Order: sequence, then C-alpha cells, then structure tokens
Amino acid sequence: MNSELYKYPFYLIMHPFNGYWELKYDRSQKANIVISFVILFLLALTNIMQSQYSGFVVNLVNPNGMNSFMEILYVVVPVLFWCVANWSLTTLMDGEGKFVDIFTSTCFALIPLVIIHFPWIWLSNLISLQETAFYHFSSSIAMIWCMFLLFVGNMTVHQYTPSKTIGTIILTIAAMGFMAFLSLLFFSLIQQMLAFISVIYQEMVLRS
Amino acid sequence: MLKSGLRTRAALLLALCCLIGLSTGGAMVQAAEDAGSYHYSFWGNTVAAPAAYQATKLWNGESLGVGPLKEPSDLHVTADKQIYLLDTGNNRVVILNQQFQLVRIIASFVQKGKEETFQHPQGLFVTDENHVFIADTGHQRVVHLDQDDKLVKVIEAPKSELLQDGFKFEPIRVVADKAQRIYVMAAGVFDGFMEFNANGEFTSFIGANRVFFSPVEYFWKMLSTQAQRSQMVMFTPTEFSNLDINDEGFLYATNSQSQNNVRKLNAQGSDILREEGYFPPEGDIRFTTADGPTRLVDIDVTDSEMYAILDANRGRIFTYNGDGHFMYVFGGLGNQLGEFHTPVAIERVGDDYLILDKALGEITVFQSTEYGRTLNEAVRSYYKGDEEQANTLFQQTINMNANLEFAYAGIGKALIRQGDYGEAMKYFKQSMDQRGYSKAFLLYRKQVLREHFTAIMTGILGLVLVALLMKKYRKKKGGRQVASIEQ
Repeated sequence: MNSELYKYPFYLIMHPFNGYWELKYDRSQKANIVISFVILFLLALTNIMQSQYSGFVVNLVNPNGMNSFMEILYVVVPVLFWCVANWSLTTLMDGEGKFVDIFTSTCFALIPLVIIHFPWIWLSNLISLQETAFYHFSSSIAMIWCMFLLFVGNMTVHQYTPSKTIGTIILTIAAMGFMAFLSLLFFSLIQQMLAFISVIYQEMVLRS
Repeated sequence: MLKSGLRTRAALLLALCCLIGLSTGGAMVQAAEDAGSYHYSFWGNTVAAPAAYQATKLWNGESLGVGPLKEPSDLHVTADKQIYLLDTGNNRVVILNQQFQLVRIIASFVQKGKEETFQHPQGLFVTDENHVFIADTGHQRVVHLDQDDKLVKVIEAPKSELLQDGFKFEPIRVVADKAQRIYVMAAGVFDGFMEFNANGEFTSFIGANRVFFSPVEYFWKMLSTQAQRSQMVMFTPTEFSNLDINDEGFLYATNSQSQNNVRKLNAQGSDILREEGYFPPEGDIRFTTADGPTRLVDIDVTDSEMYAILDANRGRIFTYNGDGHFMYVFGGLGNQLGEFHTPVAIERVGDDYLILDKALGEITVFQSTEYGRTLNEAVRSYYKGDEEQANTLFQQTINMNANLEFAYAGIGKALIRQGDYGEAMKYFKQSMDQRGYSKAFLLYRKQVLREHFTAIMTGILGLVLVALLMKKYRKKKGGRQVASIEQ
C-alpha cells in the first residue's frame, strides 16, 4: 500500500489520461492532498538547491540576492493564482472540477520539473559551456511535459473537450493577470491608508 | 647567587623572544594602502580600490614661461616625448620637452612668401616624423607643417557631390595615419569623419553613428504628412565629440549619445571595439540624476590597446584595457591639485597622464602609484603574450586590490598555460568568466579522467559482470518456479 502510494505519481506522469482519471475518481482525496503538498515542497527545495549548487557555467546568481523565502513564494504564488483563476471560471465554462481537484491535478503536473531538474543540479557541475545545450534542452522538455500534464489534468478534472480546455487555459491566464492587478491595487491602497494614519499620528504627536 | 643568575637568564631569554617576535611580525606585515579610488564589481556595486594615479605637478602659462594660456584646446605627445600644446586663444602651438621646458612656439607659417597666422585653432596632431597638423577652425582649413615648421599643404573647404551646397568647413579635430590619410572631425557634420587622401583631396565620410529610434516613432513618422514630419525629431546620426588614432591605424572616437559612446573604427568605418568587460566602457555606470551619465570629451589610446576616456561632467578619467575591462579611475572637479574646472584634453607621456584644463589654462601631471604601475605592466605583459610575467604582476595587483575582478582571469589564463587547470578554474570563477572557466574545466576533466582511467574502466567492467550474474541468477529462479508449477 505504501509502495503504491509512492509509485502512483510516476505512473501518472507516464500515463496521464488514466492517471488523472484515477486521481479524480478512484483514490483517496486526503492522500492526494498530502502528496500535492509534498510535491510543492520538493519543487521549492529543488529551486533553492538549483540556485545554490548548480554549476558555474549555468548558474550566474548574485549570492547577496539569494532569498529562500522568495524562492518558495515563486513556486506557491503561481500555483495558487492558477488554481483560484481556474476555479473561478468553472461555472462560466460548465466545468465539473472542485477546487481541491484542480489543486491536486496542478501539483501532480509539476512532478516532471522536480524529476528532471533535481539530478541536473549536480550534473551541471560536470559539463562545459558547449554542453549546456543539453541542460537547457532538458529544461525545455520538463517545461513542455509539465504544460502537457496541466492540459490533460484540466481536461480530465472538468470533463472538457480539448478545444474547450485550450480556451479555458487562455482565459485562466487572463484571469491570473487580472488577479495580479487587483492584488497590486489592494496593497497600494492599504499602503496609502497606513501612510495617512501614520501622518495623522505624527501630526498629533508633534502638535502636543 | 644562584637565584639571581637564573632570573637574569630568564629576563635575557624573554627579551630575546620579544625581539625575535617583533622582527618576525614586522617582516610579515604589509602596510595597507587606504582606498583612494573606486571600482565596479561584476554585480555593478561600487567597491573600494587604491588610487592608481596621483597628481604631482601643475603647469600654467607663467610656470612654462610663455605667458598666460588662453583657452587651450588640445594636447599631443609624440613618440619622442615632445609635448605639443594648442593655445587656442593665443592662436599658437607651444612645444615642450618631457621636463616641460620650452622648445619653441609655432605662431605662424609662410605660405607663398606671405606670413600666415591661425585663428581659433581647435585640433592638433603630430605624426611620428613630427609633422604637425593643425585644425585652423577660424580660417576653415587644416594646415600641414613639417618638422621644421615649413608648410607642406593646406586643406581648404572641399568640393564634392557628397557635400551639400553651402557646406561650411569648420575642422575641430584632426588625426593622420601612417599612410598619410587625414581624418577630420568638422562642426555640423553628422555623417562621420571626413577622410582626405595624402594630397589633401576629400575622399569620403567614415564611421557615421547609427540612429536609434523605436518602432512606434518610425510607425508614426510613416503616417505623417510632410509638414508634420518637419516638426518631428529628425532621424540623423549624432556628431562625434573627439577622436584619436593608435599605432595600427584604427580610429578611436567618442560620442555623447545614450549608448555606444566609445567606438573603434576600421577602414570601413565599422565599430570593432572589444567589449568583453563586465560593463560597456563608458565611464560611470552608477550616477545620480542630477549629475547625469558620463559625457565624453576626449579619448587617448596608448600602447597595448589601453585607452583612457575623459568625462566632462565629473572631470574623471577612466582607463580600459584592449578587451574593454575597466582598470582604474582618477580625477574630479574642484579646486585642489588633481581636480579640474573644464577638462578638455588628455594625453599620456610614458606612464604619466597630462590633463588639460581649458578654463584655467593649466596642465595637471598625474604619476602612477605602485598599484597603477603594476596594473599597467600586467596588462602590457598580457597583451604581449608574456603569460608568466602577467601572472606574477596580476598576483601583485590583486594583493593590492582584491576587488579587481578581471585580474583573476589573467591569472587563470596563465595557469592554463602552465597546465594547472584545477587552480585556473578557481581563478576564472572568481572573475566570473564563464568562458574561461569552461575551457579550464574541459582540460581539467580530461586530465582527471585520464589519470583515473584504469579505476573507472575496472569499475564499469565490474558492474557489467555483476549485472550478467544477476541476470543468470534470476533466470535460474524463474526456471525453478516454472518447474514447480508443472509438478
């Protein structure tokens, strides 16, 4: 049972249509959520280790600018934005997926990024500048594979047709942009309100 | 008696140890120079650096014995270290030797039996044979004199179909190459430099700047009427601000635009300046909006392709090597020795720099410090291909300034030549040189694999054998199972 639990994500990325179907209908939702968070954690960890231990020929990063917390945010925030935006469009597009289904399918789609990038952290220390083409090629494969799994996952979770899935993905990206704009607006307004309050406070303090 | 003897011995021993300790410590300690200048790191931060040059002497008209200088515009130093100073307001050329003693003054020349003078000359060049070229701006001509101050030729306003009607020839700067071609920077000419042949005839323009515009601007310009276009910003190249020429005949030119402000032109007028440094060789990369970016007014190219540029906004001199690496900076605006009011010209005598101040009519002499001398020699050795000497000198340089990042690459290259690839990798990494690092790593990897070839192949063969044995074992196991099922 435990062995099957660990093997299932690899089964899913190699058999996406069957894998996602089983993910939605045949497996324990609690276990799915746990594995999803583990995948997110591993992806953040991989990114941090990549910026720290990658070879010099592929990794030109200012150590003063390295921030693990920001690396975690760069993984979590896009995933959350995608899930919320996709979930927001469910009613408009007559989808069947619940938020938890969208979240788990998205996280499972990120597995190739971990699997391919993790060994390259140390392999990149053994390649020269000419051989970085293989490194970048592997990164491209990981990204394309991830996009494909996202597509299949979305299609299966909502029971969309392929063309409708593409439309939903485009609308989801637009919704993500809109959400980003609203977030910036919100934080900007909050900042101005706080500045106003602090100015009032200073005025009262200095007056007395 | 015995006790006092022991005490005396102990005291002597202690004193001896202290003396030895002092001498040892004294030998080890190296006095650290205070940070007199700055440098830019790979990440664009401003870091401390020792002063490479220090102002040592200030010359003006009185101290030179020629009366006050009046708005001098140009300097030139010949191969035999004669200093030619163009005194624009007094319409003369003052010639000095290396010790700044007056040799002679050129205030006139004889043309067709008549004495001719200059009027507001702004450009000066002297060839290796000590022929003098003077851009006589007020008289709209270029005057060519030989080493005895006799007239060779005069270049007047040229006639050519390349020039528009009513063209006014006002030469500002002039240089000549070894083939006797003359390049003139004229006011109002934005097609590049004007090239004249050995006979003084105009041949062509060379090295016009490219025009930078955005696609949006171009789109709107296409849609506009003729009247609207005349109101818009014109797409014309910017003018150059100064030029110099090196021993191999390449022109070095400076601009005052937003980018590509230093150019090295070949015979076709293409820019072949190597910019392998961390930043473009355009002076300060960090500045306040009040000051603005570096505004280049002069460039001087010396041996080993080192060149120095002069910033009029802050009065600073930036020096780069042939690859475009920033070496050092000195100078500034102010009233102290080593500071300027309106710097306009920069020249080099041996390792010393001469900076000409137009408003004050002064020449400031900068001499190199030990750091500057070592760095100059290191760059020269590297340029000549003397790797061992370059390695030694770069080591000394980074001992004085650990912030000089490109010097580590110089050491790395020398170590590659010596076959120490592992150490070379470390140095290239420290100088953020990915290409050099990759080259050293390839050689290092080959070296390591060759050394451990026996062990590696033995390991691989062992693995293959183990795999074969495992396969056979599994086959036997499978066979037994089949037999048991049949029973």
